[in-house]
Amino acid sequence: MITRRYIFTLFLLIGIVFLSPAQLSGPSQEYQVKAVFLFNFAQFVEWSPSTFPETETPMVIGVLGEDPFGTYLDETVHGEKINNHALIVQRYKKVEDVKKCHILFINYKKKDQIKQALSALKVKDILTVSDASNFAQLGGVIGFFTEEGKIRIRVNLEVAKNSELSISSKLLRVAEIVKSENN
Amino acid sequence: MLLKDTPIRHKLMRAILLTSSAVLLITCSFYFAYEFFTFRNTSIRQLSILGEIIATNSTAAMAFDSREDANEILSALKAEPHIVAAILYDKEGNPFSNYPLSAKTTTVLPKSDFEERYSFEESYLVGFQPVIQGNKRLGTLYLKSDMGAMYERIRLYGIMAVIVTIISFLVAYFLSKNLQKSISKPILALAEISQAIAKRNDYSVRATKLGEDEIGLLTDAFNQMLEQIHTQNQEIQLFNKNLELKIKERTYELEIANKELEAFSYSVSHDLRAPLRSIDGYSRILIEDYGDKIDDEGKRTLQIIVKNALKMGYLIDDLLAFSRLGKQNVTKILLDMNAIAQRVTEEMVAQNYKTSEVTIEPLLSTKGDSSMLRQVMTNLISNALKYSTKKEKPVITIGSYHENDYDIFYVKDNGAGFDMKYYDKLFGVFQRLHSPSEFEGTGVGLALVHRIITKHGGKVWAEGKVNEGATFYFSLPVF
Repeated sequence: MITRRYIFTLFLLIGIVFLSPAQLSGPSQEYQVKAVFLFNFAQFVEWSPSTFPETETPMVIGVLGEDPFGTYLDETVHGEKINNHALIVQRYKKVEDVKKCHILFINYKKKDQIKQALSALKVKDILTVSDASNFAQLGGVIGFFTEEGKIRIRVNLEVAKNSELSISSKLLRVAEIVKSENN
Repeated sequence: MLLKDTPIRHKLMRAILLTSSAVLLITCSFYFAYEFFTFRNTSIRQLSILGEIIATNSTAAMAFDSREDANEILSALKAEPHIVAAILYDKEGNPFSNYPLSAKTTTVLPKSDFEERYSFEESYLVGFQPVIQGNKRLGTLYLKSDMGAMYERIRLYGIMAVIVTIISFLVAYFLSKNLQKSISKPILALAEISQAIAKRNDYSVRATKLGEDEIGLLTDAFNQMLEQIHTQNQEIQLFNKNLELKIKERTYELEIANKELEAFSYSVSHDLRAPLRSIDGYSRILIEDYGDKIDDEGKRTLQIIVKNALKMGYLIDDLLAFSRLGKQNVTKILLDMNAIAQRVTEEMVAQNYKTSEVTIEPLLSTKGDSSMLRQVMTNLISNALKYSTKKEKPVITIGSYHENDYDIFYVKDNGAGFDMKYYDKLFGVFQRLHSPSEFEGTGVGLALVHRIITKHGGKVWAEGKVNEGATFYFSLPVF
């Protein structure tokens, strides 16, 4: 069965080559871009003022689950400020660990796991982001997807509205807008 | 032709046209400059607004790496045909999106162009607009607009300025051509009339007044002057006529009076002769026939009567000669004045004046009446001899010279002379400056000379000083 195995490996390789974003040579570069995107979201989304009780309250970008960004995210936000709010990165192992944060990248792939996390998070004012497939349709605010080798975003406006997040129309221009799927 | 010599209407038209042209030129230039600068500023403002709008709109596209969106945003520039190129650079300066899509570029934007800047480069307006979201720089927008619009507008303005100038110039030309008439016409009319008057000397002409302005005043003054000249002319003519009439009257009266006087004096002198002759004749008979019966004193008295009768005879002779002269005509012939002077002198010197020295300088020949001029010479020379007898050595000089178409003769002596105070009486009839006891004479001689020379068309005059002699001159016209 050496041949079958070989062919399988070949397919796998081809799959990796073809499925992975063409212009991004590896996952690390992909997450480099995504890290920048996470930072950029902070510029095109407005949170309700209650999330910043004090002017010094930092804007928190959380990462739930395993951190795929390595040091990139920290490097990206280092020294940056959005409306005088410093940016900090917090990492959470479990949903229960999630504290007050503004942007939360959920690094879960499984649908059930995501649904569970989202329902557990039923907290307002969190911009949930994930690159899990159909994340936005599942009730997340912004989901990454790859199209023609480029990273693109989907936005669930309904959820955003419920979370009292106002997303800039400019961001919406570059995003694909989707609705929740109740299945 | 110099400007000051050109006709008034040309001057007026030139002034009007030059003024309007200058005004138009200045206005056009200022308007042109104003338009140019406002248009430049407007262009910069418009491009910067456009740049800001596009930069603001393209932030998300830059942030989320959406070239499609960026291209779409830039493609909206189609609406602005003067934008020839637009490029969005990312924050490193690499081209991210461009317009038009076909003009792809790979040139990296230098750091120096990251700042916001709008400037004219050659015939393009170029702008660099940072793309910023919040306070985060995402990239740079480059815009290039051709200034065809401006040049088109400037060309349009130029054409319009030329057309407006031509039309205004034509309008100004026709307007000034007609309007200048209101000024030049009365002046020209006045000039024409004054010229006509100067040519024909007709002062009865009057200039027509066309208005109440300064030219009207001038016309009035001109007419007034003409009126004055006219009346003065008439007065002068009238005066002249009266004067002529008066002169004629007077001349006539004078002639009559003169004739009467001459006739009177002639008849008087003629009629005086007969009784005088009787007195003389009978006195002589008394002396000759009854001499022995009369004593010496009686004889002496008779001698005095005879002597005075003789004197009176001379007086009558002179008077007759003088009055006869009024009737005589002057018959001019060429005379040898030397011969005349010589003979007269010889006769007289031989008779009474042997001690006198008479020098006759070569005399000019002149035209005159022979007997009359002989009379003149006789009178003058005898006067000179007579009045110089009291001198130890009487010297008499007779000479002549030519001056201003006149032959001038003179007789000079070193005798008694006369006082210039009494010069007026010198040539009057019976006027004497010396008493008969001093020098004999009737007082008719010089009057006769005066009369003869005046009849010849000449003049008589004299110079003298008491006891130092006298010079008598007479002049005769050459023609």
